[in-house]
Amino acid sequence: MEILKTSSLSIGYDSKTIASDINVTLSEGDIIALIGPNGAGKSTLFKTFSTHIKPVGGKIELFGKDLMSYSPKERAKLLGIVLTERPDDMFLKVFHVVAAGRYPYTGMFGKLNEDDEKEIKVSLELVGVNHLAVRVFNTLSDGEKQKVMIAKAIAQNTPIIMLDEPTAFLDYPSKIELFSLLKKLAKEQKKAILFSSHDLELLLRYTDNLWIMAKNKPFAAGLSSDLLKNGIIKEYFELKEIDNLKI
Amino acid sequence: MKNSRITIGILGIIIFGIILFVLNLFVGSVMVPFEDIFKVLLEVNDDKTLSVIIFNYRLPQALTALLAGAALAVAGLLMQTLFRNPLADPSMLGISSGASLGVGIVILLTGAISGAAVSSFGWWSTIGVSLAAFIGAVVVLFIMLAFSSRMKNMTTLIIIGLMIAYLAGSITDILKFFSLKEDIHAFVIWGMGSFSGVGTSKMTVFAISIIIGLIATFFLSKNLNILLLGEMYAENLGLNIRKNSVIIILVSGYLTAIVTAYCGPIAFVGLAMPHIARFLFKSSDHRLLIPATMLIGMDMTLFCNLIARMPGFDGNLPINAVTAFIGAPVVISVIMKSKK
Repeated sequence: MEILKTSSLSIGYDSKTIASDINVTLSEGDIIALIGPNGAGKSTLFKTFSTHIKPVGGKIELFGKDLMSYSPKERAKLLGIVLTERPDDMFLKVFHVVAAGRYPYTGMFGKLNEDDEKEIKVSLELVGVNHLAVRVFNTLSDGEKQKVMIAKAIAQNTPIIMLDEPTAFLDYPSKIELFSLLKKLAKEQKKAILFSSHDLELLLRYTDNLWIMAKNKPFAAGLSSDLLKNGIIKEYFELKEIDNLKI
Repeated sequence: MKNSRITIGILGIIIFGIILFVLNLFVGSVMVPFEDIFKVLLEVNDDKTLSVIIFNYRLPQALTALLAGAALAVAGLLMQTLFRNPLADPSMLGISSGASLGVGIVILLTGAISGAAVSSFGWWSTIGVSLAAFIGAVVVLFIMLAFSSRMKNMTTLIIIGLMIAYLAGSITDILKFFSLKEDIHAFVIWGMGSFSGVGTSKMTVFAISIIIGLIATFFLSKNLNILLLGEMYAENLGLNIRKNSVIIILVSGYLTAIVTAYCGPIAFVGLAMPHIARFLFKSSDHRLLIPATMLIGMDMTLFCNLIARMPGFDGNLPINAVTAFIGAPVVISVIMKSKK
């Protein structure tokens, strides 16, 4: 089922357009990697999808309705994000970080009901961090923090989850673990997952669908094997040694 | 088990506060003998001066200290969470400086224009000062609100607040330069802070205004908690960042403006009390931190007021001289203890 669709979307800040003519769809169970050199506009696209900035032109539709026509609270129930930015508070507990995902669902004082408690517990278990629930978030390792933020997004219970560079700061085994977690979420929870990454070699090995952006080049989307074969990846990253990449 | 620790902590702070409050009534340059305490309270004492001292002077002063302490402490907590900066306090918004400028204009200009010191104007010297402080604070508050409704970036907002504070400060200094010595003295005294200015006559207005602001803070706890994740996450969770920061600045600024208008610019309480609450309860949950910070603020100002009025200090030591002197070691010791 189609969840998010863009038509002739242009993104950027005020008058400065960074990328234009973006026509893509995101469907249930999709897991898509967004790649491109630094400065290509990956973060800008994320910020546009999360409505932190307005599109410069074109349209973004969420379940067939204009993204901007949803109220912030409604949108919070449809699209969850995981950023490279981390909460930094001396006493903030893991449980409370994940519980924040329930913010769009709770009342005036944020009191959690049984359903909320259950969602939080399920989210913690799904990413395998239930043993960390009582820990202070700041004392966790990078990999653990990443998992907790994903648990937050799961608790938020949105059909779409977007992750900005989730593999950055992770060691190799944690990266592999993260990919399988994302796959599990897409498959079992029927979520649409979009994430950006610089780990090209890993992406080609673990993901099927790519969106690729580069400065002054048209937005491209397709199967990773096709994009590799027809030389798009090589061209967009200005790579010379791509033949050494084994997939 | 954890809940019981919180309950004991809160109860401890409340009991400590009650003891301090009672001490505030009976300790001072005129000591009330212990056996006379109940006589005074039961109004069976023949000596009317004691009950006048207690009911007309010390009781309103203790109530002022208590309310001002709660208001400033919680205003500091709101600022620290909004700006995600442990050094933030209400003065960062330029509100105290705005109040100072307002008072400066009244005290210093009255003298310059009429050629006589403001203290010779009777009622104008007391009501005029509170009013001027309040207007000065509110003007700066509205300037900050205008900026915050336009901006998402909290760092730039801090910088603007500090710049406004400096600007107001320099105008005040220019006014001072052209003023009578007597007026400058009056201005300096106001700047030292005091809990004795409210008295019985203005107590109702002061108390109601503060209590309204204190109640409002409880409704902010959910949004403050979500802000701890960072603005981008908070926004994605459905929080309207600009509207929320306007509301937080409004509540925090309102409390600061009222306290400053009646008591002068009281430093340190807003900066330090939230840290004591956090370290004492090892929590960042505002549903706990808001009441805890208020109660700790009350204890702190009651204690400072008591010290400032100790026999031997001949009347009143300026509150601002006491808050940091007593408060700084307390904050350091609380932080050191919890780090162990």
